[in-house]
Amino acid sequence: MIINLSSLNLIIELRKSVFSISNYTLQLVKSYIFLRGFSQSQPTRPMGREKEKEKPSEEALNLLRSRLSDPNFIFRPLSDSPDSNYSKLKFIISTSVTEACNNSILLLGPRGSGKVAVLELVLSDLLLQYPEAISVIRLNGLLHSDDNCALKEIARQLCMEHQLLFSKVASFDDNSLFVIAMLRECGLAHKTIIFVLDEFDFFAQGKQRLLYSLLDAMQSVNSQAVVIGVSCRLDVDQLLEKRVRSRFSHRKLLFLSPSKEETERLMEHILSLPVDSSIPHNYAAEFNGRLKKIFSDERFKELINTYLSYNFTIGHLVRFLFQAVSYMDLDVRFLSHENFKTALSSNQRQPKLECIRDCSILELYMLVCMKRLEVKEQNSYNFYSVMTEYKSIHDSSQTSDNYAANVCLRAFEHLLQRQLISFIDNKGHNQSVEFRPVKLLISSAELHQGLKSYHQCPAILLRLMDR
Amino acid sequence: MDMEGSPQVTRRTTRSCAVSSNDVESTKPSESYKPTLNDLAFGKQPFGLEDLLSRFPCRRTQILEFLRLLGPLNSPLFPVLVYGGPSTGKTSVTLQVFRHLNRPFIYSSCVTCYSPRILFESMLNQLLFHRKDSKHSYSSVKRCERPSDFVNYLREALENVISSLKGNSGKSNSKMSGRPDGTMVYLVFDNLECVRYWDKSSTILPFLFNLYDILKMPEVGLIFISNISPDMYYLNIGYVEPIPLYFLNYTEDDLRHIFMVNQTNRKLYASFLDVVLRPFCRVTRRVDELAAALSSLFKKYCEPLSDKEVAPNEEMKRKLFSQIRPHISSALNETFQVRSQPLLGAEANKTKKTNSSKMSGILEDFDKIDFHMSTSAKYLLISAFLASRNPATLDASLFDSTGVSDSRKRKRKASEKSMDQKEMAEQELHMKGPGTFPLERLLAIFQCITSLAEDSLDEEESRELTTEGSSRGLMSDVLLQLSSLCNANFIIKGGSCPLEGSTRYRTAVSEDLALKVARSLKFPLSKYLYRR
Repeated sequence: MIINLSSLNLIIELRKSVFSISNYTLQLVKSYIFLRGFSQSQPTRPMGREKEKEKPSEEALNLLRSRLSDPNFIFRPLSDSPDSNYSKLKFIISTSVTEACNNSILLLGPRGSGKVAVLELVLSDLLLQYPEAISVIRLNGLLHSDDNCALKEIARQLCMEHQLLFSKVASFDDNSLFVIAMLRECGLAHKTIIFVLDEFDFFAQGKQRLLYSLLDAMQSVNSQAVVIGVSCRLDVDQLLEKRVRSRFSHRKLLFLSPSKEETERLMEHILSLPVDSSIPHNYAAEFNGRLKKIFSDERFKELINTYLSYNFTIGHLVRFLFQAVSYMDLDVRFLSHENFKTALSSNQRQPKLECIRDCSILELYMLVCMKRLEVKEQNSYNFYSVMTEYKSIHDSSQTSDNYAANVCLRAFEHLLQRQLISFIDNKGHNQSVEFRPVKLLISSAELHQGLKSYHQCPAILLRLMDR
Repeated sequence: MDMEGSPQVTRRTTRSCAVSSNDVESTKPSESYKPTLNDLAFGKQPFGLEDLLSRFPCRRTQILEFLRLLGPLNSPLFPVLVYGGPSTGKTSVTLQVFRHLNRPFIYSSCVTCYSPRILFESMLNQLLFHRKDSKHSYSSVKRCERPSDFVNYLREALENVISSLKGNSGKSNSKMSGRPDGTMVYLVFDNLECVRYWDKSSTILPFLFNLYDILKMPEVGLIFISNISPDMYYLNIGYVEPIPLYFLNYTEDDLRHIFMVNQTNRKLYASFLDVVLRPFCRVTRRVDELAAALSSLFKKYCEPLSDKEVAPNEEMKRKLFSQIRPHISSALNETFQVRSQPLLGAEANKTKKTNSSKMSGILEDFDKIDFHMSTSAKYLLISAFLASRNPATLDASLFDSTGVSDSRKRKRKASEKSMDQKEMAEQELHMKGPGTFPLERLLAIFQCITSLAEDSLDEEESRELTTEGSSRGLMSDVLLQLSSLCNANFIIKGGSCPLEGSTRYRTAVSEDLALKVARSLKFPLSKYLYRR
């Protein structure tokens, strides 16, 4: 606590020289952005082991993979038009910086639609434009939803940015005093602090003390701050308390998925190799030619439509392209339609059917017995009920699969482990496994389908299911 | 050693401490090993792709897919979720793939790291090259409980590691063993399904899945290994799903292939598998369980053979098959049993009974319990079983002071309605499970039974028991035995009775085990069991 207060004095001393400090941070930021851009636009050459030049297909693979993992690259082309969210956001923030006013805005949209990516683009551009007038504080709702945690993190980031010493044992009050003082000082120095609150809906849980104190501090004359909330819940402003909502300007930017043409253009932009880089020209040209052929194929259009019909954000699309690109066969050296198809099929999994296919026959017997118990409208059953059913099946039709109770119990436990069945409540820890009531986690249609596709399923099981 | 010559110590010291303090030439504590950057690699000699594929006979497609997803050196990676049933090779394939690629990774399992704090600290220890040793009283390098602190420390540590890796790769390209390749660090989280049962699972699980987005470091790759399929992880808060990689369970042919690896006499083992594999696969298809069950059966299969190296011809195969056949069904019923007696003892027993048929030998094993218990513990177990099974109102009539059990039964013709009622009652009994009883009832039944046992023994033996101590002396033993039975899960401590507030107990043994225990004591358990 003492450290923070003394650093407060330090700030007052340094207020006159705040421009020189922020110049220094600007140099750091500039060089950081430069290095990051450098490392991501160039394909990396592995040093050490391989002495000969990398094959062009490997270079291409590296380049495509690094492009797909870089959100800046992906969202930059979408942000060129004047009515995109990028421009709107940039306008709002830059006006509040230049006109020295406070602002608050919410970025809403489903997960993977690029909210944080566009925000980072805007911030990096603004940092280049107004180097000494902006400082950014980033909080995440998953980590910092607790008020103590959040204030500590804000204090820590402020200290890091202004090269002050941060004390880990500072109390909540000290931190909050420090933050308010910093806000005042930065406002007097005409420096805008931008608070980025990721997963905003977590901050809106509980008492919303942090939000209230931030927004309240913004109401004072001296402060210059912008609060940007990012959330996947489209109704997050309904979660705010009345007093918080009244201090919040109801600006919202919706991030929706792009249209089909935009998506196609984006895919081409991402996957086409640049013709003037270190990749040999003829290879790149042939690669791009083949890519165009794949894209214009009808099957491919169908494939993409199937994928996009249930995974419609850019984040999901990027992940799908990443999978397809990584399946590229280095011997073939080019992307093919098969890669995309494999990527699609690995995303279209049916986990319960896979589980059934992995079961042994005894476990299938247990499942079918439970299904029959359910059909007989016995709502709660445990292992012993299942065993009686199992024995009755064996008595009525002499199956070869009659095993003792301990073996069946282990099969039962395997089913529990695979989450095909589960206990009805988690409180029965003072009962042994055989007596706790269980329920099926698989529907009868899935069970039926699984049995039909099971290799060498005993006919009696199918008969029992059909009845 | 020097105990007699040691000076009078005023405070209590342990014997070893006293000895070592007198020892002049005490050895210096060995320098504890300081981990370095090279420890992030697997540590052993990396091998080529064909080696890797041959170590995992039926996992070719999965290994190739995994290698493709990991990509070439220094290529960024989206999070990957490796999932599949237990004992399908997920962890071992992951680790061996990293050995093959010789890339730096850190590994933490959510079974050994059973709380968020331990998980975070274990990962930080590995990244900051800190090994817990006695000098620092086995503490971690940083105390880290909350995800926010963890992210800050992790970022710092990862940046340090990555910069030193970049420095390494910039140096000479010596193919020195132990130096990891590349500038990416991979974090492997094993047994992810255990996180669901933690107290803080609602915050930790979304945190782990969103870790990639939070860190925003392209040089870090995340790999999750899980026993359950990804649809069981659906949370309230969404996340962009990791790329799934499915390890399916082995088919019968795969299992045959796997078991044939490293066998000395392949033909003999192949003929053995022909006979045995199919029936055992109907029970379970897990490699670890099958391996345990088949190994003991194989020994039985090879018994009549004098020469274990011979390749069997058709006739020998038929003979061996007919010899092993009666054992298969009984072995199937003990598939999951873990033998606690050493196999040598059992074999020695078997050679003694040459004339008696093998079937009765197996039945005898069934009747015996294969763990040791003291007599009072056995009586306690039986009393607990009786207390759970019988309703409390019957105790007076069953455990009459004269020792005469109630054998009068009113013979009544069983009507259909009463049969149905009996069935319903039995079903209810099965559903509810064994009942609870307070401690006093257990001790009362215990005293009745042991007094009966004392009466029924010979004079000589009863004298022995009484000289051991009166029933009062037996009491403290009994309470100790009770707590050890609770710890061994033979008796479960249930909730407390709402009226009296004392804890109630419940038995957790099956009827078979109770009968076995009673038979070993020659106690007529069935006379005391209440049958509706």
